[in-house]
Amino acid sequence: MSVAAPQLAGLVPLQSVGITPIEASLFVFVLLTAVLTALFRDVLASIVVFAAYSLGLALLYTFYRAPDVGLTEAAIGAGVTTVFLLLTIAKTTRPATDARFEAINWPAVGVCGLFVLVVAATLPAFPAVGDPASPILANADVTGYYLANAYDETGAENAVTAVLAAYRGFDTFGEAIVVFAAGIASLLVLGREVFTA
Amino acid sequence: MTDFLGVVTTRHAYALFVLLSAIGLYMMIANENLVKKIIGLNMFQTGVFLFFVTSAYRIGGAAPIVTEGGGPYVSPLPQVIVLTAIVVGISLTAVGLALTIRLYSEYGTLRADALREVIGDE
Repeated sequence: MSVAAPQLAGLVPLQSVGITPIEASLFVFVLLTAVLTALFRDVLASIVVFAAYSLGLALLYTFYRAPDVGLTEAAIGAGVTTVFLLLTIAKTTRPATDARFEAINWPAVGVCGLFVLVVAATLPAFPAVGDPASPILANADVTGYYLANAYDETGAENAVTAVLAAYRGFDTFGEAIVVFAAGIASLLVLGREVFTA
Repeated sequence: MTDFLGVVTTRHAYALFVLLSAIGLYMMIANENLVKKIIGLNMFQTGVFLFFVTSAYRIGGAAPIVTEGGGPYVSPLPQVIVLTAIVVGISLTAVGLALTIRLYSEYGTLRADALREVIGDE
């Protein structure tokens, strides 16, 4: 697949750069599951729809050529998060409800509408999705450098792995510390920090 | 109007990021159930992840697995920061849910409004 547009620079809407049917259908799926997650009154239903939402997003990440992120989202977003949420309602309560949907909280809708307006006002300033001339892709000193040198310098063909484990190795180590701290904090909060034989 | 459509159809994934973050924000504000508030937080996060992943995307680009003579590739850098953020996000969720369980065992409710009342009475 090649980019046919002759002039890809700048912020003009590009004829060849637009929404594709795959993206459009995934967008509809993700938005629908997001809205249902927010509106279902039953927490269990909400959790299940949220897992479907994560799966839709994982597919979308994969479409945007981020297989590592897609796999992680499927494993952690759709998998581990769902298990944690289910464990939580198993340990606490799942309020019985008659109504299927939550009543809409209009003041909150107003606040979120304002949020959408403010953030969406910046949209025209973004480069089009997938535009090869966008600063992040056209930057030979950063993105270009990693793509050109990652294999020679680290021996990893996957540039994501190279950056994660080599260039940003200390950052990833810090991430492991965060997970460790979160584990300790959870055990402390739940009063399970002492293990008895 | 065509201008608006042009912006939305070319910046579509950024528009989706805005909407998903807004729905997450709505859940955090409007839902009184603490578990649903945490789901909302997760949704807000995934919206931001989508923003990063999209900014790395290049039409016609391949996943950043570098082979001889391959390319062009999408940018690996935003993808790496998203991987880190996903793991930090699950840590945050775990601690939040642990606190939720503890709150329930202390006060017997998961509703933020009821909790405010109970804690206010003490």
